Amino acid sequence: MTEKLLEIKGLCAGVAEGGKEIIKGLDLSVKAGETHAIMGPNGAGKSTLSYVLTGKPDYVVTGGTMHFCGHDLTSLKPEERAALGIFLSMQAPVEIPGVTTQNFLKHAVNAVRKYNNLPELDAAEFLKLLRTKAKEFEVSAEMLKREINVGFSGGEKKRLEILQLSLLQPKLAILDEADSGLDIDALKIVANGVNQWRAADNALLIITHHIDLLRQIKPDFVHIYADGRIVKTGDMALAEELETGGYKNYLDEAQ
Amino acid sequence: MSFFKQNITLFGADIPWLEGLREKARAAFERCGLPNAKTEAWKYSYFKEEELGAPQIDDTPHECDGHCGESENLPFAAIEIKYCNGKLTHIARDLPRGVIIRPLYEAITDGEIKPYLNKSFDLNEFPFAALNTAFLDEGLLIIITADTMANMPIYLHYHQHAGMNRLCNIRNVIVCEKGAKATIIEHFDGESNAQYFNNIVNEIYVGTGAILRHYKRQDEASKAHHTALNSVQVKAGGHYNSLIVHGECALARSESYVRLLQENAGAEINGAYRLTHNGVSDITTNIRHLAQHTASDQLVKGVLDGAAKGVFQGQIHIAPDAQQTTGYQLHRALVLSDAAEVDCKPELEIFADDVKCSHGAASGDLDAEQLFYMQARGIPLDEARQILIEAYLNEVFAKTEDSAVAGWLSENICPSR
Repeated sequence: MTEKLLEIKGLCAGVAEGGKEIIKGLDLSVKAGETHAIMGPNGAGKSTLSYVLTGKPDYVVTGGTMHFCGHDLTSLKPEERAALGIFLSMQAPVEIPGVTTQNFLKHAVNAVRKYNNLPELDAAEFLKLLRTKAKEFEVSAEMLKREINVGFSGGEKKRLEILQLSLLQPKLAILDEADSGLDIDALKIVANGVNQWRAADNALLIITHHIDLLRQIKPDFVHIYADGRIVKTGDMALAEELETGGYKNYLDEAQ
Repeated sequence: MSFFKQNITLFGADIPWLEGLREKARAAFERCGLPNAKTEAWKYSYFKEEELGAPQIDDTPHECDGHCGESENLPFAAIEIKYCNGKLTHIARDLPRGVIIRPLYEAITDGEIKPYLNKSFDLNEFPFAALNTAFLDEGLLIIITADTMANMPIYLHYHQHAGMNRLCNIRNVIVCEKGAKATIIEHFDGESNAQYFNNIVNEIYVGTGAILRHYKRQDEASKAHHTALNSVQVKAGGHYNSLIVHGECALARSESYVRLLQENAGAEINGAYRLTHNGVSDITTNIRHLAQHTASDQLVKGVLDGAAKGVFQGQIHIAPDAQQTTGYQLHRALVLSDAAEVDCKPELEIFADDVKCSHGAASGDLDAEQLFYMQARGIPLDEARQILIEAYLNEVFAKTEDSAVAGWLSENICPSR
């Protein structure tokens, strides 16, 4: 039997402040080796799902369960979830003035290694690893010296996210609108990076409302997400159908 | 005021002009008294007698374990000078050509210090400088002679051992003559259980076209009290560049009183402080633009946690004749707990009409989005907070030219930088 990485049952969650419920009884099961796409209209709460899975403090789980490799996610801090192997590529990667990209990446790589009882990399070892990976994703040495994401173009930010994916080697990657703001070439770099990382023992969850990236990554499952839950599951054909018919039919269904 | 009434024998009681100066200072201190909550310049942070615990001047000869002449393990080469328990114990030998360093008593005895001593400020305006002058005894005269490029920094280490609760009045006179260039680094520290009161006055004279860099790292013991006045005069085309770093002690105040006397004189005062318990840091500046085409710039950043308190008082005065001057000032603080407090008092006094002046102040918490982004990459929250705090303060240290010196200055308040 293939390993179940992520198991979500009847998940309800909302904003911590004010308590507005956004996710209303969501079920999703992701096994190793699978790629899932979650598609849905703007404002349906797709990003909320990614934040709830990664433990952003602005959100609270009000019902249901979510497990990752057998761990109850609700009891884990964001950094523990990350170190166990959940990677979130955010729609808008955050700028951190005063922290160089290289320094940030070293902290991240060593924090994950430390949590998993692996020896931390020293400066030389890390630099060697970083240089090899950076070259693959066309991240320049100059970019690595700059403050992380500060003044980066949309394409640079996304390439850096994929570089992080490759450095941290998570078990589950959640790409939230990884394609937003990308031109065709940058999209190709992102898609190639993701495809290269994919393996039988990891899984991918793509949150998007564009089909371009899906055509390059080819998900096994396509879920339509509306009004806080998954209303239909299919394969790539479903995504193609949405491209012509839009979400309207499914929105009505969700009401 | 117990320490004022102390009856001790100071050096040079037979030198009339010196005794006259001490007497004048005693009278000034008596008139002002200890500043308190009602003293405008001290209202946010003043020394409370009960907390000072009656410090006394130690008039016995210096006794130590003999280590106070040893070289420090510094990451940069320096001309080393040491004060141990408030007494001058060591001056480096073989000084570079053009660098003169003499004990205060020597320079007083032969009168070399006379043109500079107590010539840069008014005793009635600075009560602790008056106290310092009333007990004038320990200190140095440093002269960088005209056109000397002193490449090696002059490093003054003030160390305090535990023992008696000492009041240490130290006076340094630093003269950077015409066209000279020098760096002065001051480092204050003490044994963790030591209690003392350091009362420092530096009179600094920056000559025509001279450049003086003045860095200070304050790592005093947690029960220590510290006040320092840097009274600075800058002549035409001269530049005074200062960085003040405050770690945590009971109360530390660094006051920079800078007078830009002539055209094209400039000053830069930067500061960084980080307190996590219940100490007080006060960085006070008063920059007086007294001639046209003068420029000043200030950036002070602090991080406060626990029940600590940070004070920044910044005065920029622009005299009526000081046209086409620039004066900039920015204070920012991260306030990480509800019990921490920050007080900021910018004061701009502008009497000329063709000037560019600005001041800004901001305080806030760490950015939640940045913290989450780091956590989402596996970095534990505490570590993420440290990284952000050090990145925040780094902006100040990045202004220091020499990266080895900058790294050393930040060592205590940014340990992982």
